[in-house]
Amino acid sequence: MARVPALLVTHADLGAALLRAVAQVYGPADGVEVLSNEGLSRPALEQEIARRVDGWPAGGLVLTDFFGGSCHTCVQSVARHRDVAIVTGVNLPTLLDYLHNRDQYAVWDLAERLQKKGQESIRLQRGQNV
Amino acid sequence: MSWQLHRVDDRLIHGQLVIAWGHVYHPQRIVVVDDASAENEWERDLLASAAPDAEVRVRTVAEAAREYAAEAGAGGGAFLLVPDLATALALVEAGAAVPRFNLGGLHYAPGKDKINDYIYLDAADRRAARALIERGVALEVQDVPASRAQSLTALDPLIATA
Repeated sequence: MARVPALLVTHADLGAALLRAVAQVYGPADGVEVLSNEGLSRPALEQEIARRVDGWPAGGLVLTDFFGGSCHTCVQSVARHRDVAIVTGVNLPTLLDYLHNRDQYAVWDLAERLQKKGQESIRLQRGQNV
Repeated sequence: MSWQLHRVDDRLIHGQLVIAWGHVYHPQRIVVVDDASAENEWERDLLASAAPDAEVRVRTVAEAAREYAAEAGAGGGAFLLVPDLATALALVEAGAAVPRFNLGGLHYAPGKDKINDYIYLDAADRRAARALIERGVALEVQDVPASRAQSLTALDPLIATA
């Protein structure tokens, strides 16, 4: 199965920081592109997203930080006519799971897996006095 | 109560508006004034999806100007959003008595000068800003509630001669 490419679109330098964190626990995240919305208007951000996504031969995943932000809104506009699945609320466990599974799944199946992984990654634990 | 915020922001509804301003004012309605978006069903749905806790109305300039006074007297709070200074001016010229606009995001494009990290203006923007000021509309630069509001004319002296 062909590798599913991914683009990370986030506020500020969150995407780049996530990749640095990934590098410490997984190793270099080759092939994951990062884009920040910093300083970009909607049309400019959409253009930057489209430029990257259009380089994918058979679709891929765009991971954004939160639903309803400008990153997500712009990704939705670009994805409307393209073979792109969007996963919002990206976190470190989601990104690591993507890297471990990007060669084993089709685009949408991988997106569904990451949604489940992201939701399961938030857990609660009580300290002694809570 | 109605109008709580009038904002110029080329990203329209996005995180700063919903998360930062929204959590301070809790608007019941967000009125987006943009002719292009108002005529595009997909764009209207996209804007609505970005603010699930408020009723999103996407209006043309003419529609928004007609509805402005009635909305001012409506119950609950409301935000008004325009994508640029030209639309802000058109809305005021069409009869909406907007007292002030918050300038929250006019990002870089070729030919625009940097005013601060999130406001870039060209000659046409400055002419629209000056026309708004001459009509008595205050223009304040402030991206999020926690930052300090600054007068646009204090940040950009070129507006006085635009």
